[in-house]
Amino acid sequence: MLELVNISKKFKQTYAVKNMNMFMERGEIVGLLGPNGAGKSTAISIMSSLVEPTAGEVYFDNRSILKNPTSFRKVAGIVPQEIALYEDLTAEENLRFFGRIYQIKGKQLQKRIEDVLQIIGLADRKKEVVKTYSGGMKRRLNIGVALLHEPELLIMDEPTVGIDAQSRKYILETVKQLNKEMNVTILYTSHYMEEVEYLCNRIYIMDKGNLIAAGTKEEINRILSGEKSIVIKASHLTNPFIYELKTYPLVNSVDVMDKQITVMVSKEVNLFKDLIAMADEANIELISVNIKTPTLEDVFLHLTGRALRD
Amino acid sequence: MTAILLAKLKHLLRNPWAFLGFTGICIVFALIMGLTGFESRSSVPIVIADEEVTGSSILTTLNDEESISFKEVEEDALIQSVKEGKAEVGAILNKDTYELIVGVESTTVSSVDNMIRQAYTEYGQRQKIIEHIGDLKQTENALQKEIDEASKNPVFSVTTSNFTTDQTMMYDPIYQYVFGFGLFFVIYTVAYNVLPMLIEKQEGVWDRLILSPVKKWKMYAGNMIYSFCIGYLQVLIIFSFFYFVFGVDFNGKFPETLLLLIPYVFTIVALSILLTAIVKNSQQFNAFITILAVCMAMVGGAYWPIEIVESNFLIAISKINPLTYGMEILHGVVNYGYSLEELFYPVSILLLMGTVMIGVGIHLMERRHI
Repeated sequence: MLELVNISKKFKQTYAVKNMNMFMERGEIVGLLGPNGAGKSTAISIMSSLVEPTAGEVYFDNRSILKNPTSFRKVAGIVPQEIALYEDLTAEENLRFFGRIYQIKGKQLQKRIEDVLQIIGLADRKKEVVKTYSGGMKRRLNIGVALLHEPELLIMDEPTVGIDAQSRKYILETVKQLNKEMNVTILYTSHYMEEVEYLCNRIYIMDKGNLIAAGTKEEINRILSGEKSIVIKASHLTNPFIYELKTYPLVNSVDVMDKQITVMVSKEVNLFKDLIAMADEANIELISVNIKTPTLEDVFLHLTGRALRD
Repeated sequence: MTAILLAKLKHLLRNPWAFLGFTGICIVFALIMGLTGFESRSSVPIVIADEEVTGSSILTTLNDEESISFKEVEEDALIQSVKEGKAEVGAILNKDTYELIVGVESTTVSSVDNMIRQAYTEYGQRQKIIEHIGDLKQTENALQKEIDEASKNPVFSVTTSNFTTDQTMMYDPIYQYVFGFGLFFVIYTVAYNVLPMLIEKQEGVWDRLILSPVKKWKMYAGNMIYSFCIGYLQVLIIFSFFYFVFGVDFNGKFPETLLLLIPYVFTIVALSILLTAIVKNSQQFNAFITILAVCMAMVGGAYWPIEIVESNFLIAISKINPLTYGMEILHGVVNYGYSLEELFYPVSILLLMGTVMIGVGIHLMERRHI
């Protein structure tokens, strides 16, 4: 349905996206993950026809969207990261405005407005101006606007940023429902790994403008299938201690965040005793040591060296 | 485009206060400044030292003066007034002579001196005629009447006129301030209606519109047409208010005046677009437009007639100021009765400025993708 072929985008001397290849099949929910500055937003801007790539091509149903953006825009809905709404208008007026922009008119427009208000759960608040809404309600309306013209493809750029857990849950359910009941293909980016794990069939991971991993959840998880992670929390950390861990022969990788260290070792390795000894030697008080099978978050950390919310 | 216009209109109806505020302030300022200027006659205190002056033509002649108001006071009050600088000059009127008490040497002093001398000369001439007739009271009264009658219906009349040249300035405070403040405040109204384009770009609404099937030129046109209409509506309200409520008749050129505002408002929309393209955020825009509008008003002749500006530098700057040409058009059509050919030059300059500024502004916006 959507295919990115060797997409690159260069700003002055820096590549925001480099040789990116990606595809989406009809009816899929695909996750795009990456820490801040990974190039996700640029990639989304390119695949939504907002920004022209320096090189490469984007195809929608085998037709270039760069050469024919208008027909693509008629069937694609974009949910931007920002709340792109008129705050002085009501929810209904916002939907009416964007509906007209999408050339929906008369009774059809009225019906679409009512349907969308039902989907996003704002039917009873439709007459209130947006600036009186909570963050979650604004986010829901932000999604609603993108649904007005019944898009086949929905591109959602971090649609749950800065909202409460209840609204987040509502949005996730709405996304799931849109995909299941209306067969909308969805590209979803988020800072919350659990959202991507819950929603997406396939995942792409970006870092520093490059795609560093791609596949189904299982395939991604398999990257670290032969390993286990040891999460150590300590009162404080010292450089000699970290250095000793990093150079320890049985350790595959070490990631440090604040007072927490994630150590990846092979499944059969038992590092517990050695770890206690090393901490004692470095005068470090261990608060907890947690050994677990690697999650998607661990894979991400392993691949990028950064946590998703960094 | 209709959707954009309707949304903007709804926004205006929901938040009309800025628009009404600017319109109201403009009317109030023009009223205060214009009417004050209109009635600003210098006041000169006079003391009548001789009873005969009271009933004489001296006082009548002085009271008929249009540019100076002579007010009778006590001698102490006159001296005090001049001493404190409240009056530049005062006069003590005797039967055959007068005395000027001068505080500051100025053009007013010589004007007052001329007026009083003229009044005494006329009075003296009358007295001479009467003396020539004789002492008979009855004859004197009849002669007085005859002189008055002759003055009212002269045998022949002399019409005086003056040449107006390029250097001749015609100044009418009410027009100066209605035009000046009207053109000045419309800069703010238009600019603050173009500003949402910048905010929409920053907030992502603009991108959302780009990602719809709507054409980009329609997005720009919708915003510009709305800003133009709001700006034009404001000057329309202000000028109509003075025309219908205060009877300022624009020298019979009211429809022409309204029509000739179009190029000016268009250029201000273009200027605002250019400014929107140059600045990075709304804070910068607010700072810029405040400084720019005041400078434009000062250099363009909105606060005072441009003709009194002597600095060559400021005059040169005024040539690239749309407000200068706006004022020139309005003064030209109302005060000087310019023909269409004469108005063609400032109108063309404004249209050229507007077209260039819109072109550059949109190009910059697109290039920077703001």
